[in-house]
Amino acid sequence: MAGLNSSPGMRSQFAAIARVRWQLWLNGLRTVSGRLELVARGLIFLGFSAAGFGGSFALGALSWLWITHDRLSWLAIPLWFVFLFWQLFPVMASALTESADSSSLLRFPLSFPSYFMVRLVFGALEPSTLMGSLWLLGMAVGIGIADSRYFLWAAAVLAVFAIFNILLARMIFAWVGRWLAQRRSREILGVVFFVFVIGFQFLGPLLAHLGGRGHSQASEYAAWILPIERFLPPGLAAESVTRALRGQFAPALATFALECLYGLAVLWLLNLRLRAEYLGENLSEGLARTAKRKEKQAVRLGWSFPSVSGAVAAILEKEFHYLSRSGPVLFSLVMPVVILLIFRVTPARSGNGIDLFSHASDWAFPIGAAYSLLILTNLVYNSFGAEAVGMQFYFVSPAPFRQVLLGKNLAYTLVLLLETILVWFAACFLYRPPSPEITLATFAALAFAMLANLTAGNLLSIYTPKKIDYGTLGKQRASTMTVLASLGVQGLAAGLIALTLLVARVYGKLWIAVAVFLVLSALTSIGYFAVLRRADRIALSRREEMLAELCRA
Amino acid sequence: MDAPAIVTEHLSRRFGQLIAVQDVNLQVAPGQFFGFLGPNGAGKSTTIKMLTGLLAPSDGRIQVLGLDLTRNPVEVKRQIGVVPEGMALFGRLTGMEYLNFVGRMYGLDRETAAKRAAELLDFMQLTDQPKALVTDYSHGMQKKLALAAAVIHGPKVLFLDEPFEGVDAIASGTLKAMLQRMIARGATIFLTSHVLEIVERLCSHVAIIHQGRLVAQGSLEELRAGVESQAAAAFAAGGAAGAALPAPGEKLTLEQIFLRIVGGTRPAEELSWLG
Repeated sequence: MAGLNSSPGMRSQFAAIARVRWQLWLNGLRTVSGRLELVARGLIFLGFSAAGFGGSFALGALSWLWITHDRLSWLAIPLWFVFLFWQLFPVMASALTESADSSSLLRFPLSFPSYFMVRLVFGALEPSTLMGSLWLLGMAVGIGIADSRYFLWAAAVLAVFAIFNILLARMIFAWVGRWLAQRRSREILGVVFFVFVIGFQFLGPLLAHLGGRGHSQASEYAAWILPIERFLPPGLAAESVTRALRGQFAPALATFALECLYGLAVLWLLNLRLRAEYLGENLSEGLARTAKRKEKQAVRLGWSFPSVSGAVAAILEKEFHYLSRSGPVLFSLVMPVVILLIFRVTPARSGNGIDLFSHASDWAFPIGAAYSLLILTNLVYNSFGAEAVGMQFYFVSPAPFRQVLLGKNLAYTLVLLLETILVWFAACFLYRPPSPEITLATFAALAFAMLANLTAGNLLSIYTPKKIDYGTLGKQRASTMTVLASLGVQGLAAGLIALTLLVARVYGKLWIAVAVFLVLSALTSIGYFAVLRRADRIALSRREEMLAELCRA
Repeated sequence: MDAPAIVTEHLSRRFGQLIAVQDVNLQVAPGQFFGFLGPNGAGKSTTIKMLTGLLAPSDGRIQVLGLDLTRNPVEVKRQIGVVPEGMALFGRLTGMEYLNFVGRMYGLDRETAAKRAAELLDFMQLTDQPKALVTDYSHGMQKKLALAAAVIHGPKVLFLDEPFEGVDAIASGTLKAMLQRMIARGATIFLTSHVLEIVERLCSHVAIIHQGRLVAQGSLEELRAGVESQAAAAFAAGGAAGAALPAPGEKLTLEQIFLRIVGGTRPAEELSWLG
């Protein structure tokens, strides 16, 4: 074939990919929402940079301090922190990071090494890599200042540790991405993830429980855990630096070699996954062939609710089907009760056997209810994110857009109501029934906060929608602008509620808070209905941007 | 005489500097099976999006069944059915749930919506796996479901954007049977398609859009006569176009008419390196 005498070089392909990503980014700025996203990302970047450089300085200073004061064994602590941050942050804070899907590049004549490097390099361009690297650099400099002879050794060990972290994060993303690609494995993974998150919440109470068992027993546990810790990558890196600083070069070299082995093992697992992708794998979810059924389709009536129009009832039913078919959403709805349980088993002070709400058990219910609302805001602020191409239907159907929003809002409010009742029963069972004043104040405050969130959520769902793709890691998030704006609204609502409660407490009359919350709810409802009335017009004026974002492939 | 089913007057749409659709005047009579054709990027999808309310026109007017779309969007949408480019399906519902949902959004009571949903699923042969989610359907099944959803409320005008794209012969047969049944009962169908054989077989009237402008409109016979008379005139004037005149007794196919109107294919010699 003319012009194809040589295979394209890795460098030229890298340059082309970098250029196209830059061009995509520039093109994203053509829209208003794209420019707003840039501003939001600028703010986030400033935050990450401050944390990166500040953390780097702090870890450098700590390393220097521990070495000069002969506390070498403590070097493992920051390394564990860096390791956990590097691996957990990209998953936990996917709303604040951008992930690129490079698997579509497979249609081009990329060699496997090129594909591997593209996935590795472009995937690693995220805040956790930047911050983790800066922190490790700070540690290396701190060690170098404390004892310049070992700077190079420390730098080499920490550089390998950084590479290990990059490889591990990419390996996790690649495998999780594989499991997310199919609905069934995605749902299983979602459940496993939430069980893990719930389990993680119990870590604090467990540690507090162990701490309360007396010094000797804690030492026993430490003696059991520390040898294991030393054979894990952060422990190995710390051990290698420590041994070198103590002049024990053979053990330093051995632990360094073990650390490298971990890196190679992760590299092998990553290679395994990417090679399967490269060779083309079939992740089809087509229906299994079945014998043709002779019977007719059974008639199944849709839901109906008194005083609710057919269109609103249809939206309500659809939302409940969607929520009930999402494992992660269902599990996240259980979280408020789990949180109450965690507080119940967490001692306030080590050893006294008294839980966190022992002196104010009335507050268990309000806190659980507030948490329920907080979880629900994920849905409220990007309520069309999961609709994808279905979004077109709302614009071709005769149902006014305000009815669509109303149906969604009613669904979320019903979920909140059910959850709040569940939390109330949990609070009664785990603590004691909250007083009628507290119960009333909580419901009144929730009414205000929910209305405020729904008002802002409806506007942001129309102005800054973001397509949610449950099958792609990092694409389950709202836009950065939405995240920041929702934080602002929640902060404002929480501030007003806290201030009202404070004033009521000063006067010793909780009914003042109830009255204020009801007034705030009434005022907010004016705004809510004003937005709802204008929703048709606003949605019509924004339909092209909404469809472009939500219906894109 | 009935009002035209679809009328556009000076319909235009600009995207920044680009004029995607310019001054389009369409007229579709009730009961017509109307094919809207054009090369890629000619403005077909933009036009159908404007006609169905998915996109606002920059200029011009749209009337559907005598109602102005901008002034009476809800009333118009109540009487039309649409299968848009992306099919507008909700992936995490079952076929039955989806049709029920659509029926009620169009204002059907829940008994009627449920009854029609069941009948449509039977007709479309989508009853094999009643619990399967739409996201797990094959492309052909999704097309059939999208068409079922578009007709559940018994629309008087049906807009279909590429309904036969990616559909196998069996599914295509089911879709055609449904469309012909609608035409027989007096509905109007407006469809865009690249498959000219299907348009030729199904449509009684055709319009062709090219570079945003409407370049031909009428019944197939009118278009054929127009092209043939142009070719004959060119032949009489000694031009080369006459060489492509059909032999006596033969008719120009829609593909030939289309290519004559929008211009032929580019010579392959231009890309000599293709081998």
